[in-house]
Parts: sequence; structure tokens; C-alpha cells
Amino acid sequence: MSHTQFQSAEQRSRRLALGYLACCAALPFSMFPSSVQAAATKRVVSVGGALTEIVFMLEAGNALVGVDSTSIYPSKATAFPNVGYARQLSAEGVLSLRPSHVLVTEEAGPPAVLRQIAAAGARITTLPANHRYVGLRQRVLGVGRVLERSDTAQVMLEQLDATWEQVRQQVAAQTTHSLARPVRVLFVLAHSPAQVLVAGAFTAAQAMLSYAGAFNAVQGFKGYKPLTPEGLIAAQPDCLLVTEQGLQAAGGLEAILQLPGLDQTPAGRSQAVVAMDALRLLGFGPRMPEAVLALHQALQAV
Amino acid sequence: MSRLGAVLRAQPNWWLGASLMLALALAVQVGAVPVSIADWFAMLKLVEWSALGDLTQTPSAGSHVLFHLRLPRLLLSVLVGASLGLSGALTQSLFRNPLAEPGLLGVSAGAACAAALTIVMLGDLAAVIHPQARAWLLPLAAFIGALVVCFSLESMARWIAPGSVAALLLTGIAMNALAGAVIGLCTYLADDEQLRSLSFWTLGSLAGAQWLWVGLFAGVLATGYYRLTRSIQTLNALALGEAAARHIGVDVHALRKQIIVWVALLAGLAVAFCGMISFVGLIAPHLVRLWVGPDQRQVLPLAMLLGGLLLLVADTLARTVAVPAEIPVGIFTALVGGPFFFLLVRQVRGRTT
Amino acid sequence: MLPKPSAALLQLNGVYSNFDSVCRASQASEPFNLRLLPCERLAILGPSGAGKTTLLRLMSLDSSPTKGEVIFKGRAGQRWSIAELSHHRAVMPQNCQVAFGLEVKLVIALARVARTSDPLVSEIVLHAARLARADHLLARRCDTLSGGEYARVHLARVFAQLWDVREGLILVDEPLAALDLALQEHILQALDAFATERQHAIVAVLHDVNHALRAFDRLLLMKEGRLFADLASNRQAVPVLESLYGLALECLGTADNDFVVSPVSKRSLMACVR
Repeated sequence: MSHTQFQSAEQRSRRLALGYLACCAALPFSMFPSSVQAAATKRVVSVGGALTEIVFMLEAGNALVGVDSTSIYPSKATAFPNVGYARQLSAEGVLSLRPSHVLVTEEAGPPAVLRQIAAAGARITTLPANHRYVGLRQRVLGVGRVLERSDTAQVMLEQLDATWEQVRQQVAAQTTHSLARPVRVLFVLAHSPAQVLVAGAFTAAQAMLSYAGAFNAVQGFKGYKPLTPEGLIAAQPDCLLVTEQGLQAAGGLEAILQLPGLDQTPAGRSQAVVAMDALRLLGFGPRMPEAVLALHQALQAV
Repeated sequence: MSRLGAVLRAQPNWWLGASLMLALALAVQVGAVPVSIADWFAMLKLVEWSALGDLTQTPSAGSHVLFHLRLPRLLLSVLVGASLGLSGALTQSLFRNPLAEPGLLGVSAGAACAAALTIVMLGDLAAVIHPQARAWLLPLAAFIGALVVCFSLESMARWIAPGSVAALLLTGIAMNALAGAVIGLCTYLADDEQLRSLSFWTLGSLAGAQWLWVGLFAGVLATGYYRLTRSIQTLNALALGEAAARHIGVDVHALRKQIIVWVALLAGLAVAFCGMISFVGLIAPHLVRLWVGPDQRQVLPLAMLLGGLLLLVADTLARTVAVPAEIPVGIFTALVGGPFFFLLVRQVRGRTT
Repeated sequence: MLPKPSAALLQLNGVYSNFDSVCRASQASEPFNLRLLPCERLAILGPSGAGKTTLLRLMSLDSSPTKGEVIFKGRAGQRWSIAELSHHRAVMPQNCQVAFGLEVKLVIALARVARTSDPLVSEIVLHAARLARADHLLARRCDTLSGGEYARVHLARVFAQLWDVREGLILVDEPLAALDLALQEHILQALDAFATERQHAIVAVLHDVNHALRAFDRLLLMKEGRLFADLASNRQAVPVLESLYGLALECLGTADNDFVVSPVSKRSLMACVR
């Protein structure tokens, strides 16, 4: 290409680029409808399956505008816009629902995003995520306060307390009268061909097991940790506890029973596997008392 | 087509810059929250009030989202993308290899590994360290981790067969594996609280962007670019090989150290604030070389512009595809970058060993 | 012939180094002494593994001797900065692959990268390329060059590096390997003309004895890591070469300065015997 040709190509190119740039300057003013204004009525985003359950229990479902990915009960909760995984929220995503309140547990995050949501004017209420009945009471009262349904909350709480008392007594009676040793249960979170991920101390599963009067087959560690086949045999569980969702993901009952080392344990020999819905079992929501009872009965039947 | 090509090649900086502006203009309008012209004007008021120190008033929710959430995030994605593009171009120049990239070579993994170690050990030191200092401890740890990996790679590269693509990539695989193992160990040892922070590092995300980070990145990038372009011909000289470069008067040792520090700083900071975002540093310089040739005087600025553009597009997709939820941006860059990497390996292996 | 100035360009005093590629620690090595004058043409010859490349690296100040000193233009080796050194000495590599396929014009221009202000660089690049007969390659990319073309590009680079300097030093390491006859001739002539005009000295490691005898005034013979002989390049050197290589050599040609050396063939040996 000759020198002059190159020069004019340069000039042409530069002019085109300038024109391009000028068009870009005009674009930010292209159109989307009205701006976002704060709504007068309460608009609540609930991040946490248990919290969503409490909202519906308090008959405030019409104030809800968004839920997270763990809010699967009741089934009408799944119809609401999904803001995603509680630990990986999107600031703009939550704010696009124009919430006045956001209910979260301590597990929600990232912290920077929560700060951004709060800075934008939505009130964030953090409720404790502990695995105790006391925590459930706190959550019910907290949600009731935010939704301005404290009276309903109080009534519901009394009902829950009554049910809870009944369940506690039943479990206590069963365990003191039973001559056999308490059931050794192993909660399996997930598994791969090499090892299984089981619940140790300070987990939701461990808390439910102790409430149900059962005994965690593995001791001595915190959180969810992998267990080798030898460890599984040494634990000698009488029964395996899994979530229904986890059971499906693993490929059904047959797949769970294929776990290496399981056939050397009482659980494997008697094919004792109990499966319960994840949110019901581990959510520590309003269904907790009846979940404890159901778990207890299922374990006793093994 | 060749005329169009010639026109494009004549002023690549202008074209890429204009495309970046266009992408910014489009990206600023899309998002979960709709914004309108009124919000733009309201934002000016917001800026004025913020400048005067009055942070309590918000003219409109849309303007708040625009100023505090969307604009910082867009600008950060451009700046982080530019950092990754620049560090990718520098790494390729340092190792004389078009397949080198901080992510592939384990630099980002090293940074994430150092951050993970800090998070897990931080629990014990929480009482000792001031909270403000704690926020800066992670970026510092990430930088140090990246630096350690860079120096190890550099000393290893001396006895790897020069120009051997396979050997360099194998070293990168080893580095990634090692860093991954340490991160796995940290995951094992971590308690719930720490686990939450740890899971952040494996998938990149630009959520949580703030103006402070934008300022920090702009400063680091500007300083790095200025320092490196002062001696940009010496970067070209590296392509001749260490011995030949020394014979023509380039202090190769000092230059390599300088490049390593900047690569570690740019890649380390990107990991510290945004998690692991891979392949941008590989794709951007390579596409630029295909476009304008391998002269570093043109590659370096264009790699920055293209890297910024790529990450801007990826992040815009990440935050709009699954509204109101958000997909980690690292997934998009990996989805595009992975196949691109295979094509690149096939092309390069045709030419070298 | 220009009169030779008496100050030495390069001096190696009492230098010990690990010349031998096979480490023979038990053998006591002798110190190496060498004095190179400006404008000299020195060829280093010897069997493989004799330490020629190591010697070249010492002379180009690439490596430091374990003992002794190397003095270049009156200054000790350690006191030369890398940039300053590049203004006075150039090395033509044996085979140097350029990564990324840089443009030839850029590669030649890089030879002057260590100069802070260089307004005439494009002209120098053009002239240097012309001298090395590489001007038709200027717009090409390095990864499309053949071996011979590469050699010409590196020659042009050396020319560009020492273009505006006098009494510099050019070191070449087996530059003529794998090149055709015409190209070998051309490179030797171009180097000679360039160096003569600017009074550069040339030190070359060569394999071909005839090239050394023809184009160079002085021969340095290395064997097994030691200096075998340091002598002028003429007929008197032939017997020494014979004992260096352990071969019988015959001179072909009559004139004192115009002869070719060849290993004695079996046929001519048989003819002699008969």
C-alpha cells in the first residue's frame, strides 16, 4: 500500500471512529421507563427457606416479593422471583424487586452486597441461624416484628411451644423406657466413590439427631467432613440419615447402599436408610417440632 | 474486506477505545433495576450532595443504584479486565510464549491460596489485628502469594527447555495443582464462617464493587503502564532470548524482576478483589497480536483495552442473564476461554515444539 | 593496511576457567593470557569440546573467570555496565530464534535499544540491512525466515549495533554453520569490510580451517581446555594445525598467501607411496 493510500486510510479511519464515538455519547439517554421509587406498602424479600416458611405461616405471603433458592416450602413460594443462592446475592438483583425489608440469616452474603442493599434504603433484618429451638422462637418473633404481625406471631409461637413440649416428652419417654441403647445414626450429606461427607458436631443434622434422641455415630470433629470406608465401618451406624434431595442426587436407594464399607455395618446389613425433605429436616423452620417427631419415629421403626 | 482490514489496522487504538465506550454506554443501561434519564440527572445531584458530605439523602432509588452499584461495577470490570490483559501480555513476553497467562501458570491460584491461608489463620489472629487493617490484609496476602508463584516460575523457567510450550504448561499445571491442594486443605480446616469467605475465591465475581476499589485499580494500572512503557522496547528485546538481549544492552535480570512484580501486583489484586477470573489474560493479548502483530509497543495498550472490553461484556452477561440472581463471571470467561485455549494450542503447536 | 595502535583492546590476564566441557578436576589448568589489539582478526579453532565457546563467552564479558581478570578498553570487566558494553561490543549468535515472529525491521532496530537518543535509527537499520544483503527481508516476520536469512538478519543486527562506533569488538560463534558457499563468502567479506572501515576487531569461533586461514590474521588453537597455540595465520601454521587435529594436511596452491589446506586423502597417500 503506498504512502498516500495509507494516509487517507488513516484519516478515513479516524473520522469513522470519531463519528462512532459521537454516537456513543448519545446512547446513555436512550430509554427505559420510569425510575424506581420506594413503595409505600411493605415489600419483603426473604433469604432463607425457614424464614419464608415463617412468613407464610404468619399469613403475610402477600407482602413477599422475592425469595432465595432454598425457599421451596410451601410450594407457592417457588412462584416468586428467585434472588439466587443466599451466600452469593446480587445487589442489583435484590434491589430490582424494590424491597422495603430484607430478611436474612447470618449465613447470607457476600457482606459487601448486604452493605450495598442497606445503603440503598432497604432495611435488612438479620435473624440468628442457630440450630436450636430457642433460635426458632427468635426467628418467629423477629419476622413477626418486621411484618408487624407480632400478635399472630405470639399465637403461632404458643402453638409451636405446645407442640414442642409434646414432642420432647414423647422422645424423652421413649428413650428412657427403651431397654436397647439409643440408635446410632450417620447423616450423609453427599458421597463420591471414594468417600462420604458426613455430619459431625455443631451441624444442623447433629442438632436434629440429639433432639430426636439419637446418637451421632461419628464423634470428634466439627462440621461436615469426609469419612473413609474404614471410618465408616468403625462408626458402626445402625441407620443412615439422608435428605430426599441428596438421595435423588446420589441416584436412589441402591446407590446409597453401594457405599463401600456399608455392608460391614448394621445399617448396611439391615438396609436402614431414612430420607427426609431437606428443608423440613434441616431448615429449623416452623415445621421443626413435627420434623423431630417424624425423625424420631422413623429411627425407632428401623 | 482487505480495505476494511486496512482501515481497522490503521488506528487500532481509536477503534478499540470507541468500542469500549460503546460497550460501556450499552452496559450502563442494562441490569436488574431499570434506570431512566431522570435518574441520570438525579445522580448528578447525588454526586453533588456526596461531595458536600451529605450522604443521607437519595434523590431516587434508580440514581442510587446507578451511582453506587452499577457505575463502579462497570468501571471496575473494565479496569480489572485491563489489568488482566496487561498482566497476560507481560507474562507472555517474560516467558517468550504465547500460551503463558497468570491463570494458566498458577499465579492466580497462588494468590487465592495465600488469601485462603490468611482467612483460615486469621480466625486465630482476629483479636490482634485492627478491623480496618484486616480488610487490606487479604489483598496484601494475595499479592504476596502471586509474587511467590511468579518468582518460583521464573527460576524454574531457566532449566525448562526454552520455547517449549509443553514444559511451561506442565509447570503451570503443577503450580495450579499445588495451590488447589492447599486451598482444599484450608477448606477442610475451615469452620463455617471461614468457609463462606473461602468459596468466594474459586469463582470470580465483581459484586461488591466500590469507588474505592475503582480508584485503587486505576492508580495501580496507570502507574504500571507508565513505568512499563518507558522501557517498552526492552520488552521487545526479550523476544530475542536472554543472551542476545543482554548483548544489546538490556539488563535482563532487572527487567525480569520488574515484570514479575507488576504481573504479581496486577494479577494478585485482581484475585484479591474479584476472585479467580481466568483466560482474559490469554485471549486479549493473543487476539491483539493476530490483529496488529507482535510489537509490544502496540500490543500492551491494546491488550489492556481489549481485556477491559472482554470482562465488561462477560460481567454484563453475568449480571443480566439470570436476573434477579447472578452467575459468577468466572464461569463466562472459562466457557469462552476454554475452547479458545484449545484452538490456540493447536495453532501454536504447529509452529513450535 | 592501517598502522596498528599499541593499546590493547581486550586483555585476558591470568584467567582460569572451566574451559573443558568434561570436567577434569584432577588436571591442573594453566592460566590463560591473551592480548587483542584493535583491528585484529582472530579465529579460534579446535576440536569439539575444546572450550572455544567458553573462551568466547569470557571475551565477550558474558561470564566471569574463576580467577584472573578480563580488561576491555582499559577497564575491568566488572566495571562495565551492560548498556555501556553494548555500545562497544556486539555478539553474533550461532542460532537465535526470535519469539513471536517479530518484524525483521524491528529486530535490527532493537540492536540500538540501549541508546538513549537515536534520531538516525531507521536510516542505520536500512544501511545495515543493505550491507548484510537483508534489505529485501525487512518487512518479513522472523518466524518465516530460513536459516540463511536468519544469519543475514543477525549480521545486520551486529552492523546496526556498532554502526557509529570505532574500535569496537565483534564476536561471532560459528556463524557459517549450515550456510551455502556463496552466503559464507558474502558474510565473511561483509564482516571484514565493515570492521576495516570502523577499525573493529573480530573474534570468530570457526570450524572451517580454510576460512580461518584466509580471512583472519591470527589463530588461537584450543585443545582439551587449554591454549594449544597462538600464532599468525600463514603456511607456518599448517604443521601446528596438523598436530592440533591429529591429521595429515596438505597445502594446495602455490602463492604464500593463497593456499587451501586439505586433509591428506587415501588416494594421494597411495600415490605418494607408489
